[in-house]
Amino acid sequence: MNSMLRIYALAANTFREAIRNKLLYALLGFGILMIGSGVLVSTLSYVEVDQILQDVGMGAIRFFSAGIAIFVGIGLIHNEVDRRTIFTILSKPVSRTEFLIGKWAGLTFTVWLELALMGVAFALVSKLAGAPLGVDHALAVLLIGFELMVLVAVATFFSAFTTPMLAALFTVGLWIIGHLSRDLYALGQQSDIASVTRMSEFVFVLMPDFEVFNKTLEAVHGLPIAANEVGFALVYALGYTTCTLIFGSMIFSRRDFK
Amino acid sequence: MPGEQTEIVRVDQVVKDFRPGFGLRRKRVLHGVTFQVHEGEIFGFVGPNGAGKTTTLKILMGLIRPTEGEAKILGRNVAESEFRDQIGFLPENPYFYPYLTAREILDFYARLTGVESAGRAARVEELLELVKLSHAADARLRTFSKGMLQRVGVAQALIHDPAVVFLDEPMSGLDPIGRKDIRDVILSLRDAGKTVFMSTHILPDVEMICDRVAIIVKGAIRHQGPIEEFLSDSDVTSEIVLARLPSEAAEQIESDYKVELRGHGDRIEIRAEHKDVQSLVRGALEAGAELVSVTPHRSSLEDVFLNAVRAGEALV
Repeated sequence: MNSMLRIYALAANTFREAIRNKLLYALLGFGILMIGSGVLVSTLSYVEVDQILQDVGMGAIRFFSAGIAIFVGIGLIHNEVDRRTIFTILSKPVSRTEFLIGKWAGLTFTVWLELALMGVAFALVSKLAGAPLGVDHALAVLLIGFELMVLVAVATFFSAFTTPMLAALFTVGLWIIGHLSRDLYALGQQSDIASVTRMSEFVFVLMPDFEVFNKTLEAVHGLPIAANEVGFALVYALGYTTCTLIFGSMIFSRRDFK
Repeated sequence: MPGEQTEIVRVDQVVKDFRPGFGLRRKRVLHGVTFQVHEGEIFGFVGPNGAGKTTTLKILMGLIRPTEGEAKILGRNVAESEFRDQIGFLPENPYFYPYLTAREILDFYARLTGVESAGRAARVEELLELVKLSHAADARLRTFSKGMLQRVGVAQALIHDPAVVFLDEPMSGLDPIGRKDIRDVILSLRDAGKTVFMSTHILPDVEMICDRVAIIVKGAIRHQGPIEEFLSDSDVTSEIVLARLPSEAAEQIESDYKVELRGHGDRIEIRAEHKDVQSLVRGALEAGAELVSVTPHRSSLEDVFLNAVRAGEALV
């Protein structure tokens, strides 16, 4: 119980710190601008106007939310160490695992909040443009929320033991690979070389599969998103996040704060 | 003064190596540091810059792990975190979230240390009062001076009423009034039965309030013991000032007592061992000199400290 209270206190403080980051507002502003620009882009076509509008909108939500998760997330732990605020926190009855979880929870809540704001902007733009809006659109945004939860865990993992620059590089790299891992797996399966096939299987298991959370196509084209797909995505997100934070905690626990 | 000799802190043969870069080469910064702190005492941990004070404190706070040896607080390994609600820590030059107010930061630390929500607000007010920051309770920490941040640091270390308090350079950045205030806080902690571990290089503060002292130089403990032991052991010389001492007598004194004579006009200053004072003065008077003064020189902790530093440097 005390552990939960400590994590809550750390998460609340992380949220307070994150919402003071100017980069968050810059990315949020650009995200909303891009969602709005879907109206202009869609006028370039005579067909599937609504789909283009919403495709651009969903893409902007995913891209700028990921940007916030990565670029706000990578600095959080580094700043605590750099400014030595971590000294007073870890001298209290706070385990390093609690510290890491508190940081992850605070940032996840922050990116969920900005995701909700972008979701509202998306709904408003769709409504004003007369594009269809349904539960599937909300589910697609919810799945982006699951993706962000995993991405924040990955950013927290790297920031637990490396510099912000490297953490950003690794997290961005993993996010891109995570969206291509199915293609890489399929390519590997077509190879005649056994080691390449095995390597592609290994990479597919180890790397996050972010396409699990990508239901933009279904939402935009009015195709139903099955409940079991959402359920699987949630379980996958929770599982991957837990494993990432456990490994992050193991490395973080061995770190010296000079 | 310490009544019982219950061990609160035990540092046993602690060694710490750091890797300065990416290579395999290691630099040893602590060489088998060993000391104990007893219940209810103020323990001064003294050393020059770079001696290993902060590294030792970081090991005690679980911020870095010892390469060898063991450190325990209240019988618990310092790597554990559960017992830290009984420990308070003020780091050197503390830094806090600049966007929070003094009241908010103390509330944050109170939550982390499990202070019950019912009494939390009252406890925060009590600590603000103690460190004389009630007037600035709702000001953002970014507007605080170094001295005010130091007071916030002391307050956060005490917010949960810990049994043992570790202070790294607690007087740093404080004006004389601030130093006295913090000294009074430390003394009141001892009066309340708390154990205080204070790392510092401000020796007059140590002389004034510490019960026991350990001197660390170049990562090794050179001396440790009760403060009286440091001071009484050093009470061994006197400064003699003579006037109109004939030059033959001066040469005689120099060779007989192996002392150095320093002159100002017709006055001569001699630093002699306490046991030689009577015979030296008698001889000088018989030779026609006038006695101006004899001042017993009670060496301060500073002398012991400087000797320890010189000895430590000689070993390197």
